[in-house]
Amino acid sequence: MLLSEVQTDKKVLIKEINADAILKKRLRALGITKHIKAIVLEESLGKQNIKISIGSAEVALRASEAKQIEVEEIK
Amino acid sequence: MKKIVVALVGQPNVGKSHLLNSISGANLKVGNFAGVTVEKAEATLLRDGYKIDIIDLPGSYSLDDFAKDEKVTKEFLIEGEYDIILNVLDSTNLERNLSLTSELLELDKRMVVALNMDDEAIKEGVFIDEKELSELLGVDCIKTSSLKKTNLDVMVDMIIHTVKEPKKAPKFYYSDAIEDRVEELVSFMKSRNFKLTNHSNRSVAIGLLKQDRTIYKMIHEEPIYAELLPLLNNTLEKLHIQFKNRDSNEIFADERDAFARGACLEVIKNNKKNITSVTQKIDSIMINKYLGIPIFLFLMWGLFQLTFTLGQVPMDYIEAFFKFLGDTAGEFITNKPAKSLIVDGIIAGVGTVLLFLPNIMILFLGIALLETTGYMARVAFVLDGFFHKFGLHGKSFIPLVTGFGCSIPAYMAARTLKSERDRLLTMFIIGFMSCGARLPVYVLFAGAFFTPESAGNVLFAIYVSGAFLGLIAAKVLRLTVFRGDDEPFVMEMPKYRLPSVKLIWFTIYSKSIMYLKKAGTFIFMASIFIWFISSYPKNIQIEDAYTNKIETALEADKNIISNEMKKKLMENTYLGFAGKAIEPIFKPLGFDWRMSVATLSGLAAKEVIVSTLGVLYSIGSEIKEEDDALKNIISREIPFASAIAFIVFVMVYLPCIAATAVFTKEAGGKKYTVYLVLFTFITAWTLAFIAYHSLLLLGY
Repeated sequence: MLLSEVQTDKKVLIKEINADAILKKRLRALGITKHIKAIVLEESLGKQNIKISIGSAEVALRASEAKQIEVEEIK
Repeated sequence: MKKIVVALVGQPNVGKSHLLNSISGANLKVGNFAGVTVEKAEATLLRDGYKIDIIDLPGSYSLDDFAKDEKVTKEFLIEGEYDIILNVLDSTNLERNLSLTSELLELDKRMVVALNMDDEAIKEGVFIDEKELSELLGVDCIKTSSLKKTNLDVMVDMIIHTVKEPKKAPKFYYSDAIEDRVEELVSFMKSRNFKLTNHSNRSVAIGLLKQDRTIYKMIHEEPIYAELLPLLNNTLEKLHIQFKNRDSNEIFADERDAFARGACLEVIKNNKKNITSVTQKIDSIMINKYLGIPIFLFLMWGLFQLTFTLGQVPMDYIEAFFKFLGDTAGEFITNKPAKSLIVDGIIAGVGTVLLFLPNIMILFLGIALLETTGYMARVAFVLDGFFHKFGLHGKSFIPLVTGFGCSIPAYMAARTLKSERDRLLTMFIIGFMSCGARLPVYVLFAGAFFTPESAGNVLFAIYVSGAFLGLIAAKVLRLTVFRGDDEPFVMEMPKYRLPSVKLIWFTIYSKSIMYLKKAGTFIFMASIFIWFISSYPKNIQIEDAYTNKIETALEADKNIISNEMKKKLMENTYLGFAGKAIEPIFKPLGFDWRMSVATLSGLAAKEVIVSTLGVLYSIGSEIKEEDDALKNIISREIPFASAIAFIVFVMVYLPCIAATAVFTKEAGGKKYTVYLVLFTFITAWTLAFIAYHSLLLLGY
């Protein structure tokens, strides 16, 4: 599934990032990369933006960016 | 005295600027937001016979060309001249911070690592073995806390020590598959006796393999390039085949991340309890999907209410003080022109500007709080969905809100936007966010035309409608001039932190000093200038003619005739001529020539509008009544519709000359300045025209 489809408070494992090189690099710099666990914490009205936690940091994304991240729900 | 240049590097929100402030007491702005230190800030301290010059580089997540300010950091680290890197890390987020550290290690420079925010890490149950980490990295590491000021002296000693000692060999190595390729290039360079100054061959080789643009540019100019190229292509090919990946950067980044992960496992003793963090709890309310925007609007509304109500108290005192000063000075000075210069020119001009110091202080308090608590990033999150509809980026919010303070830092803050188009678009509408210098104009007019109870709301309405006009302008520009793809919205949400009172105070203090300096120098001169051109040339004939008239007139008519004389006299001064000349342009907006002149003088600085009005109306109407405060004179002399049109015009037209100069520099082209001037003037004129005539139609 895609990160944009995950419900709040669900934990996921990042499987693949299908973004262009620039975005991929930026995501990695903020700790979002393959094999990393994340939790969706908050979403804005109409799910236009989401906030996830990566380790001890928190990162906000727009839905259009979250769509480029493939994840798998974990317990 | 020997000099040591330290490059201060770290990811955003690691307390880098705060650390620098703590060791040097330097005057730096500290924020919780990505890219607060956009400008290269420096601090100097003296220790053990060394002059230590610390250069604070913009926070960077990695050595990247992503945003303009990160580019500054990267270019300085590769091309700049410095002796040592001081890498600041957030101890509570070690793994991600170490990715940058490993990238810095590639540069093969002297380095000291500060594990900052140690106090927070202890609270969170994170313990780092810094000795072990020093071993792993091959550079000295030290735990620090900029908040508690722990180990800061030890850190400075460590810097001096590291510079004195010969440079240690790097300890951070990639896997053999990469190191073999690096070695191929290094041995080739060695065989040709090639060595770039300031760069080890190893760091050049890594840069080439990573296909780093800056390193390529440097090597490209060297004669060795022609010979090196075939070998480089060959090694790159090998690398890509071995890793089954054609993205060299990713290959290196994967390895660095693996190193960071491994290092963390070894050095962190984690007793972390799995509790919901305070930040998450606060965010569940602050950026709640329904509450987020109302909370934000409420906070903004509160700030403007505060600006007006709380600001009013000291304002009354300041006003009384300058009135007293003017009256006293007036009694003592007998020479008529000198009296006019001091009372009507200097005291009226500078006094009106100083009057607004309390408002300015409250406004900057608000902005400083937004920045240092971490709420600013939340606002970007909450507003991005809405902003995006207008073709703006959530991050545009930062320069835009800074624009409420002053357009100059706002234009600079726009550097956090990666895409050139988003950056320019944001810069074009920064002017719609009314800067602190326009506040005096609004406070004056709101006070003059509205009841004290509603003045705060009027002020809020002015700011909100200005911002809203900005959004509409953004949409229009986006659809016409700045078309194209959007910049991705990926942004760290820093932890909420209690702001340091000292730092907040410092921000307000330095902003106030700047304002006072401006009042003391620039506005002082401008006041004298405006006084001069509004008092000369003297027209003896008019004066004589009216003096006779007054003498023979009835007692009741004396005042009216005397005012008529003043008006006539003013119209025949240099300023009067200038005002008359431009009056036709502003006539359709309902401005009299004094208002027209004020808009022009406002180009020098927006505060000058108020001082100009102060000078012009105080000379022009010395009708002794019980209260002759400027706002009363204005409410008497300016019709309501003209006043509103004036506010609208001031809201939209060009920020001051200084801001425009910064705009030109930041936009990177004079043609943009021409566009900005035309765009703001045409919009301002049109909107003021609409406002004036709608109000007239409504019967005001």
